[in-house]
Amino acid sequence: MYKSIAKITLLISFVASSYANASPIGPLERERAKILNLILDKTISIAERKKKLEKSKMKLLDLERMTINNKQINKNPDTHTIRAFEDFDLTFLVHNSFERNKPLSITWFEKMGLTTDNIMSTRVSRR
Amino acid sequence: MKNDTIKLLLIFISALFGSFPALANVSGGDWKPQIVEKMFVLPPQHLNKVLNNDFKTSVLALNLRDTDNKIKSKIDKINELNSFLPNASKDETLEIKHQIILNKRDYIKDMNNLIIMKKQKLETKKAFFEKIKNNIKYNNKNKTNQSAFLNNKSKALERAQRLDFKIIEKTSLNINEKSKYFKQYETNKNAIEKLKIAINNHPMNEKSVLSNNSDNKLDTIANYIYNIETEIAVLEMKEQMMSYMAKIVVLDAMNLAENVSGIKQNLDGTFTSGENYNDPENVIDMFTKL
Repeated sequence: MYKSIAKITLLISFVASSYANASPIGPLERERAKILNLILDKTISIAERKKKLEKSKMKLLDLERMTINNKQINKNPDTHTIRAFEDFDLTFLVHNSFERNKPLSITWFEKMGLTTDNIMSTRVSRR
Repeated sequence: MKNDTIKLLLIFISALFGSFPALANVSGGDWKPQIVEKMFVLPPQHLNKVLNNDFKTSVLALNLRDTDNKIKSKIDKINELNSFLPNASKDETLEIKHQIILNKRDYIKDMNNLIIMKKQKLETKKAFFEKIKNNIKYNNKNKTNQSAFLNNKSKALERAQRLDFKIIEKTSLNINEKSKYFKQYETNKNAIEKLKIAINNHPMNEKSVLSNNSDNKLDTIANYIYNIETEIAVLEMKEQMMSYMAKIVVLDAMNLAENVSGIKQNLDGTFTSGENYNDPENVIDMFTKL
């Protein structure tokens, strides 16, 4: 009896805390993560990736616009939101790719320091 | 006849004394400004107008108008009664003076009510402006605390807006991929731009620019509060005037009562009787005259 009460209490507190921690930029972050996963997915063909990316890109663009124009987040922004707006290039990938006139994946790779020059200048060595 | 008048005057004087402390508890109705929070963004001048219009529809405003009319009628009546005095006989003079005192008492009572209601109106108005002042201060404080974040956000907004046209151009071929939000965003964005241009070109816009600035708004509201406070101070002085007027009416009433009873109060506080025909000493002349 006591065990079940404890379980229910734990469940309620978990659900409540998950609602409390919901960040307003959560959907944007999830969609961005999905796109990055797609970029790094080796199991799909290039054509398939391109098709899927095009679709996800438009969705991410909508989410980016929603986040940028959301006035509600001005009041008491959480740390995730503050951090997200500190780095526009990484958070708003689609906008950044339009700004740079480069594909989404290249924009992200370059931002992470994974350029062709950088990769070519690396060498394999044993410690 | 005389005894009846004395009794009446005594009742009247006691009623007069008793009525003033009770006046402090008089409430002239209620006024709770029915202004939604969205109205707070209005320039102070407009806000003041909206507040005054809101007051006009309140119970307090209705009672204020009623009391004002009552006071006017009392003043007319007192003036009318005063005009009768020169041609009145002794008994009539007594009655007219009595009526004048009664009307003066009612005037003081109504005037006191009026002052209380005016004070209530001003206090409510003051509380309303204080609330707005605190809201502005709170928002300003929040803005300072979040300035870094808001700065980043406004930069992001500017960057995104600069890219809007480019995005439309580049995505013109992806008609099937465009969501409902994407299409609505384009339409609404165009509409918002048109509205912004219309606002900038509006002749009233320049006038409200100064008052929309939060610092100027704060100054204007602080000025309103100051004016309200001075009005309250003036009303408090009027209250003092009313208490003096009430004292004069009470003294008039006491004087009238003395005249009726024939007892006079000397300057040293002792009482001497006037014409008292119950004492045989006072009627000797009547018997000795042939």
